[in-house]
Amino acid sequence: MSFTTTVSNVAKILSKYWQVFLIDGLSRTLLLTIIAVSFGVVLGALVALMKMSRFRILRFLFTVYIEVIRGTPILLQLYIFYFVIPQMLPFLKLSPFMWVAIALCINSSAYVSEVIRSGIQAVDKGQTEAARSLGMNANQTMWKIVMPQAIKNILPALGNEFIAILKETSLASTFFVGDLMSKYLEVKGATYLGFECLLIVGCIYLCLTYPLSKLVGYFEKKMSTDSVYAKRKRKHKAAV
Amino acid sequence: MKKTIALLLTAVMLLGLLAGCGSAKSETKTLVVATSPDFAPMEFVSSDENAKGNDKYVGFDMTLAAYLAEGMGMELEIKPMSFDACQTAVEMGSVDMAISGFSWTEERAENFNLSDYYHAGDNEDEQIIITLAGNEGKYDTAEKLAGQKVGAQIASLQESLTKEQLPDSTLVTVADLTTAIMQLRNGDFVALAVAKGNGSAIIASNPDIIESGFSFEVDEKYTGNVVMMKKGADDLTAKVNELLAKAESEGKYGPWYEEAKATAGIEVSYDDQGNAAS
Repeated sequence: MSFTTTVSNVAKILSKYWQVFLIDGLSRTLLLTIIAVSFGVVLGALVALMKMSRFRILRFLFTVYIEVIRGTPILLQLYIFYFVIPQMLPFLKLSPFMWVAIALCINSSAYVSEVIRSGIQAVDKGQTEAARSLGMNANQTMWKIVMPQAIKNILPALGNEFIAILKETSLASTFFVGDLMSKYLEVKGATYLGFECLLIVGCIYLCLTYPLSKLVGYFEKKMSTDSVYAKRKRKHKAAV
Repeated sequence: MKKTIALLLTAVMLLGLLAGCGSAKSETKTLVVATSPDFAPMEFVSSDENAKGNDKYVGFDMTLAAYLAEGMGMELEIKPMSFDACQTAVEMGSVDMAISGFSWTEERAENFNLSDYYHAGDNEDEQIIITLAGNEGKYDTAEKLAGQKVGAQIASLQESLTKEQLPDSTLVTVADLTTAIMQLRNGDFVALAVAKGNGSAIIASNPDIIESGFSFEVDEKYTGNVVMMKKGADDLTAKVNELLAKAESEGKYGPWYEEAKATAGIEVSYDDQGNAAS
């Protein structure tokens, strides 16, 4: 197994299957990730609110939800959503892709809810106290004072969640939903050139995650409180 | 309180929205078949980008599945999934049957309804050992393989054969054949037990791999593949057996297998030096 054989095999596979990887596989992976994260964020926000609710029973229920989902492997959840839930709800006729997407949404909602909850709770209590003593009601305090600060904590973490889910969609290849990793399985099954296919798919994943993580890093810097202060200070100095 | 209720309602509506997607499906009788399309020439994915739906999955078993569905007057739906997920799918009843190059084993016969054998050319008739190029004649007898490590796919016929006929070799189980090839190169084992058909496909695309010259004695009960169905699905099993017998009497198996091999062969064309044919 020499370097040149590998290169020529990669070229051979790409010339024949580039569409399979770069168009079908990539678009499916991105679609799955976007569905999972966007619905995951909506659901996660709801779950976070429930977990911080005043009602003990709600708090309890959603703590269980989060712990169960975060405490079991995602592959197991995919199996449950692919085999068990469709049997329990026979009237729901969804495609395998949809079931996998739902499983990923649910999984991501649990992680996102914790991101949001910790983002909100990381805002100093003094902020709430100050707002309340100025006469703002709970609603105003939440949306005008706490949330704008919490967003700064939440957004970069959400970016990381996006990257994590992007990689986790590869587990959906167990059910050949057409994502990059299932394309890998399909092509290596037809050609028996495993290493070369892995190389190709690995490069595609890396090309996706590296810019994304750079982007997240950029926003993290921009949103950190320090940099905001530094900017203000510079402006102030310039004005003086 | 009001807000909580509103939020809960929103959640329910969202779920409803998700549920609404793609729920419109006509009620024709469909034969749902699970397969693990990573096993050329038995089942694999066509390299034709225009192939849609079932046409994407080709190979001997897929031709057989189409034949069975036609014989039963049903529409065919192929559900691709990993090899072990196929068994779970049949067990859970989310598919009618799995056709994925399954060999007959006692454990499977206990837990599933298995059809009669069907024969896919020389794929299962001959079980061979492959090794790295340069080991010509080094591993062509059981004696020469004694004390050596031999790889075989987990829960496969090759695994039982290796245990049975190479008792003095050390068995190393692997998850799938492609990984096994990488392990063979890494030196995790010196030889790999495979079905002849798969072996030929492997050798066609990996010029550094050759047949060792050793082949197993294959008992007749192992030479065929079976269709796997849920335990107790006796009507379906009878129907499948009837159609298998019909296909055999019509002499379909040979041409199907040749066709599958030809389709798979196109995708692995290399010259003697192992360079990609342009």
